[in-house]
Amino acid sequence: MTTTRIAIASALAAALVLPAAAQAQGNMEKCYGVAKAGKNDCQTATSSCAGTSKTDAQNDAWISVPKGVCDKLVGGKTTAG
Amino acid sequence: MPLALRDLQAAFAAHLLGADRADLTAEVFGDTIPASARLRVYRHHVFESLGAALAATFPTVQALVGADFFRGLARAFVGQSPPDQPVLAEYGAGFPAFIAGHDAARELPYLADVGRLDWALNLAFHAPAGGRLAATDLAALSADRLPSLRLALAPGTALISSPYPLDRIWAASQPDAPAGTVDLDGGAHLLVLRRPDDAAFVALSAGEVAFVTGLADGLSLEEAACRADSGFNLSVAFARLLGLGALAASQ
Amino acid sequence: MDPVAGIGLRAPHLAEIARERPATGFLEIHAENHLAGSPALQAVERLRADYALSIHAVGLSLGSVDGLDEAHLARVAALVRRLEPALVSDHLSWSSFGGRYFNDLLPLPYTEEALGVVVRNVQRLQERLGRQVSIENPSCYLGYAQSALSEPEFLAEVVSRSGCGLLLDVNNIAVTAHNLRLDARDWLGLPGEAITQYHLAGHAVNDADGETILIDDHGSRVSDGVWTLFADVVQRFGRRPTLIEWDTDVPQLAMLLDEAARADRLIAAEDRNAARAA
Repeated sequence: MTTTRIAIASALAAALVLPAAAQAQGNMEKCYGVAKAGKNDCQTATSSCAGTSKTDAQNDAWISVPKGVCDKLVGGKTTAG
Repeated sequence: MPLALRDLQAAFAAHLLGADRADLTAEVFGDTIPASARLRVYRHHVFESLGAALAATFPTVQALVGADFFRGLARAFVGQSPPDQPVLAEYGAGFPAFIAGHDAARELPYLADVGRLDWALNLAFHAPAGGRLAATDLAALSADRLPSLRLALAPGTALISSPYPLDRIWAASQPDAPAGTVDLDGGAHLLVLRRPDDAAFVALSAGEVAFVTGLADGLSLEEAACRADSGFNLSVAFARLLGLGALAASQ
Repeated sequence: MDPVAGIGLRAPHLAEIARERPATGFLEIHAENHLAGSPALQAVERLRADYALSIHAVGLSLGSVDGLDEAHLARVAALVRRLEPALVSDHLSWSSFGGRYFNDLLPLPYTEEALGVVVRNVQRLQERLGRQVSIENPSCYLGYAQSALSEPEFLAEVVSRSGCGLLLDVNNIAVTAHNLRLDARDWLGLPGEAITQYHLAGHAVNDADGETILIDDHGSRVSDGVWTLFADVVQRFGRRPTLIEWDTDVPQLAMLLDEAARADRLIAAEDRNAARAA
């Protein structure tokens, strides 16, 4: 074995015996919990008018500016435009 | 002559995606609620329910642009790429690329990458939980055999790299995020993971990225380690990946 | 008396149900939400030991002229094998055409041609699962001029030709009867021995350019009119496992259990009436 390979082998072997506390995991973001499950349902969507009104703009070209938290991002688009 | 069932379903499918089908309207009973209004209930449902499914899969994208803008974006995507199978958790693979190509999103250049992060989290959440390699699984091997091992990433594990700080953008998009601005300078390398009860991500250093990418490309531990920069601590990185459950159990 | 009424197992309630183990007749899940190995499926498997389970599919598209999607069918079959539910069901409707899936329960014309398609698909489903499935009457917002049969007549034919069961959704009867100007009592002529489960849910009352249309949104308590119709249904056909569905603006678990308890009280009262009459 080359010295590099010996160094790598011992570094890898050392990893296996590091105590759990030393396996620093960094900041873990819990993102997507079990409450998010379930997208298939059998009800009918009713938001606004359930499409029954002639005024439902189903096919209208949508013109909208982002109104979310993107305006917190410096250099991101602001809602002013 | 009434439409045959195949022709009726073809006309209905076209109607749902926005076509005006007089042949279908003629098949439908209308009274004080005209046939066209009755048909619109179904089209409305298709766009609303699929838009809601996309919003559930891409919550960070929605938080960034707001519900109205997201609905417009989702509606355009649904019209162009309706699902090709019934499991809605598996719908939306093409949405990040759609965002990248959409005029309305060009002033939010990070939005498509945020979409890739949301999609990776969705895939991780729905990946099998088992089959993760633990340090104890390798304890019986002699040290000199470790460098030539080829280890795959566990199901759901994915590396998302972006020229934008996706971790800070993600944090700022959470409902309980503090007020204040986020500096868009600086990229991020995130490792997305399936954990026992959820999906999550951690930020990786440049050396860890090179190492993980090498493993994902099928390199041995030694070859992957050699891709990392000189400041890379192989022991800590390997222990971290094992601790995270990021590697697949060997066959 | 043990509860006969069950509730839908919805993601926001998973943790609470796992912790509290409330008494309820059964738990219902949607097949399509559990085909991948998410933590939600692990939670369902842990609950499986303590609760009877009903698997309600929403995406098999039994009315598709294209036939069933065999890849999807194989995944549903694997889930059914894994969870061994008391009941498997889907709807009298179609959802996909030409490889596109619309996530909607789309209406069929009630013709001999459609009957052939539905019976063939139901038979294939039952053959693939190796068990009987139940078919649910849908909520409809339109009817077709070409329909030669009523919905109950069509359902009775599907039962007779395929040997399937019937899942009678009482709210869907009310919604369809109102929207299509039909008489809800027509559904009381269904073959009762085939009925395996009842569904109850709330609906929205919407305005369609000045006309009232009922929308099956599963977003509120069961309406008074549907409770009245449910009493008629139980009187006519007897008790069955009964599901409270609530999928839009999902309430606190306690309210869902309260609706189920109301269904149980109504079923018990009809039982007493039947005993007195006998």
